[in-house]
Amino acid sequence: MTELERHSYDVVVIGAGGAGLRAAIEAHEQGLRTAVVCKSLFGKAHTVMAEGGIAAAMGNVNSRDSWQVHFRDTMRGGKFLNNWRMAELHAKEAPDRVWELETYGALFDRTGDGRISQRNFGGHEYPRLAHVGDRTGLELIRSLQQKIVALQQADRREHGDYEARLRVFAECTVTELLLDSPEPGQAGPAQTGPGQDTGATPPRVAGAFAYWRESGRFVVFEAPAVVLATGGIGKSFKVTSNSWEYTGDGHALALRAGASLINMEFVQFHPTGMVWPPSVKGILVTESVRGDGGVLRNSEGRRFMFDYIPEVFKDKYADNEDEADRWYTDPDNNRRPPELLPRDEVARAINAEVKAGRGTEHGGVFLDVSTRMSADEIIRRLPSMHHQFKELADVDITAEPMEVGPTCHYVMGGVEVDPDTAASRVPGLFAAGEVAGGMHGSNRLGGNSLSDLLVFGRRAGLGAADYVTALRDRPRVTEQVLAQAERTALAPFANLAGAGPAADQENPYTLHLELQQVMNDLVGIIRRGAEMAQALDRLDELKRRAEHVAVEGHRQFNPGWHLALDLRNMLLVSECVARSALRRTESRGGHTRDDYPRMDPRWRRKLLVCTADGAGVEVAERPQEPMRPDLVDLFEFTELQKYLTGEELAAGGAERAAGRSATEHPGERS
Amino acid sequence: MTASTTSPTDQTTSGSRGTTPPVPEGAVAVTVKIRRFNPEVDPEPYWQSFEVPALPTDRVLNLLHYVKWYLDGTLTFRRSCAHGICGSDAMKINGVNRLACKVLMKDLFAGDGKQTTVTIEPIKGLPVHKDLLVDMEPFFEAFRAVKPYLIAYGNEPTRERLQSQADRARFDDTTKCILCACCTTSCPVYWTEGSYFGPAAIVNAHRFIFDSRDEGAEERLDILNDVDGVWRCRTTFNCTDACPRGIQVTKAIQEVKRALLFRRT
Repeated sequence: MTELERHSYDVVVIGAGGAGLRAAIEAHEQGLRTAVVCKSLFGKAHTVMAEGGIAAAMGNVNSRDSWQVHFRDTMRGGKFLNNWRMAELHAKEAPDRVWELETYGALFDRTGDGRISQRNFGGHEYPRLAHVGDRTGLELIRSLQQKIVALQQADRREHGDYEARLRVFAECTVTELLLDSPEPGQAGPAQTGPGQDTGATPPRVAGAFAYWRESGRFVVFEAPAVVLATGGIGKSFKVTSNSWEYTGDGHALALRAGASLINMEFVQFHPTGMVWPPSVKGILVTESVRGDGGVLRNSEGRRFMFDYIPEVFKDKYADNEDEADRWYTDPDNNRRPPELLPRDEVARAINAEVKAGRGTEHGGVFLDVSTRMSADEIIRRLPSMHHQFKELADVDITAEPMEVGPTCHYVMGGVEVDPDTAASRVPGLFAAGEVAGGMHGSNRLGGNSLSDLLVFGRRAGLGAADYVTALRDRPRVTEQVLAQAERTALAPFANLAGAGPAADQENPYTLHLELQQVMNDLVGIIRRGAEMAQALDRLDELKRRAEHVAVEGHRQFNPGWHLALDLRNMLLVSECVARSALRRTESRGGHTRDDYPRMDPRWRRKLLVCTADGAGVEVAERPQEPMRPDLVDLFEFTELQKYLTGEELAAGGAERAAGRSATEHPGERS
Repeated sequence: MTASTTSPTDQTTSGSRGTTPPVPEGAVAVTVKIRRFNPEVDPEPYWQSFEVPALPTDRVLNLLHYVKWYLDGTLTFRRSCAHGICGSDAMKINGVNRLACKVLMKDLFAGDGKQTTVTIEPIKGLPVHKDLLVDMEPFFEAFRAVKPYLIAYGNEPTRERLQSQADRARFDDTTKCILCACCTTSCPVYWTEGSYFGPAAIVNAHRFIFDSRDEGAEERLDILNDVDGVWRCRTTFNCTDACPRGIQVTKAIQEVKRALLFRRT
């Protein structure tokens, strides 16, 4: 084996989006030597594409807002499948994280009295999203990037080196997590990871194996703690708003290291992606367009969302245009417009309209602001959207409606973590942001992602720091493990050099396109049992063919090779999505089945947990933790009846009767 | 300098083995002429041409993807979000700095039925690593040198710092920067004097100098008063023209110059 570049850190964060950078800042502030490893240039993460804002119940625009209301909205949006402890922490801590970001220097739009302004968004009862025009994600990343530059310059003054305590390894891709197997009795501190087997000491995280995209050379990070913050999986689907980085790396790394994924059947299709021209299909049209008054119409000119208000939301959403329009100026005395229903509802409605033949020429529906606001106001409130349509589609949104349709946007599923520490069941492995599962249940509300990144990014950094500080011995990386990681990474070159006939060699780009087509057509927004079974067969075949992926050229910045390695992750994660989706025989949030169209309260009590052994993905059912009684009490009984089984409702009543209160067992898991 | 042309049906050249997709209706065959360089094998950069079908609504990025996916899998360039927010795909397209994801082919087609040629080169003034990919480190070094973070003294507030809408609007333009380097690598001064901070760094200093919450303006102005600072600017306006976000870059530089002239000493 050639000489490897080696680095040793206390905490390695994989991913430099909002969650990764916030985790790195926290680990650094806890005094630990920290590395951030990311596939793109520093500051170009997918987070930059978030447009709407950061959901936080600061109450700056409507003082009736509170963490309790935010918690309720989040649980409703996720159809009560959320990990309620995560939803609680998120709602309680989001305001502090926004204010903290402001002290880092983040720019925000302001209220008349100079406080951070907040805007309306789908599923949020009050104006709650702190924002900067429609470029909030960009500002969030830039603020965290600037904070890191500030920390590095302070480190230089103290230690003489910018990178003494915090270094960013940009354009560097991790291909494998490295584990050690400690001697019995040598294990680290007990980690409160979920679903841990008792008995045998599980292998601990010892580091990560990566390659520099530029040189193709390998690099080893030795570290007792790794925080996954790699984002989502959208590049497995054909029509997506996600950028190239979203190949499910963290999900796959976690699985291969022995961690579990939950909720993988729940994939959010954002209702409003661009549908025309083909070259920009899937690119996002921010939900703020609807929050600020934009309406959806079909080809007959009808505001069709009034026809799609589900029973559970009937008391919150207006059933006529007059009331809906009054809400923008008088939200206290009117119900909300149905265009602001949670994303899963709107996406399904658009899909149904198009299917019924009432779509636009290019297979979408109309989203119109041109008849709702003056041109000046549109340009002021939605500058990026105005620009995006003008430049990419030659459409002036101040004069004509946009054509929109659903696009794969976000995966609710991810690494199963402890809510308080973000620890997975693999000691030393943590996850935050989109790569973590649970927080959003079956469907995420817009705006809850940026707040999720900040709240759980910080908690993951803290969790990792606490874990490392309590360790008695550092895990070791063996040469054997490294040699294996290197062989796996070089396989696509070996396949080309191997004796196999050229006809057996597979092109990574072709396989990727086929995978995207399979996931889009067979495990997409509306699912059927037979199609998903077919998808699993196709995935099996693609997996076999992927073993013969061959790439030409050298290791220096070779995009074909990079894709070949990403493909392995996408295939594994796609299998998780398809297997879980086939298993869950109901419709809920980001999982809609034509053959099981109803939400089933019995399924609310079950989580589907994915694990992987060498051969493939296993899916198991696990009962959902019952919600803490004080949180149950935040809801009206009539609302709970819509989601919970009779048995659960009775049990909840019994607990309250027994007088157990939240303060006696905060955050208790069992 | 060598040149070669690869047609979509020619599968023998180095590259991907996939079959090309059917040519969409309304597509025109255009020549994409790319400045190639692989330091492992090429003594110097050279031009290579590809024939690619293009729709008027395609962007230059779509054409580059076509080349990479179907004609030559080794073609190297950066891209990420693909709609002008992340700032990864800055390149020189027909001689001017643009983001490949924001240039529509309809604006590049040659008139009168003539063959369209699109030339694509790496942005100028930064070392080329491979093909269209340049070393961005000197660019980020200049960015870091202007202290691009909020400097404030005294106790941190428990909630937000207050800022009026007018104060917030004062520096709105320069907060739109996506650090793509289009401006800096369009600047003739930067081409000849790599030590010049360049427009992007000044824009990011401006963003804090004019932020009512910030107390570090004097430190930054000292840095920009340096021999490699704002006085190097010759107001050629290349940077303003190149900015894909429409930032008035030259104006921002002038505002920093003015702040230096009229600063309280």
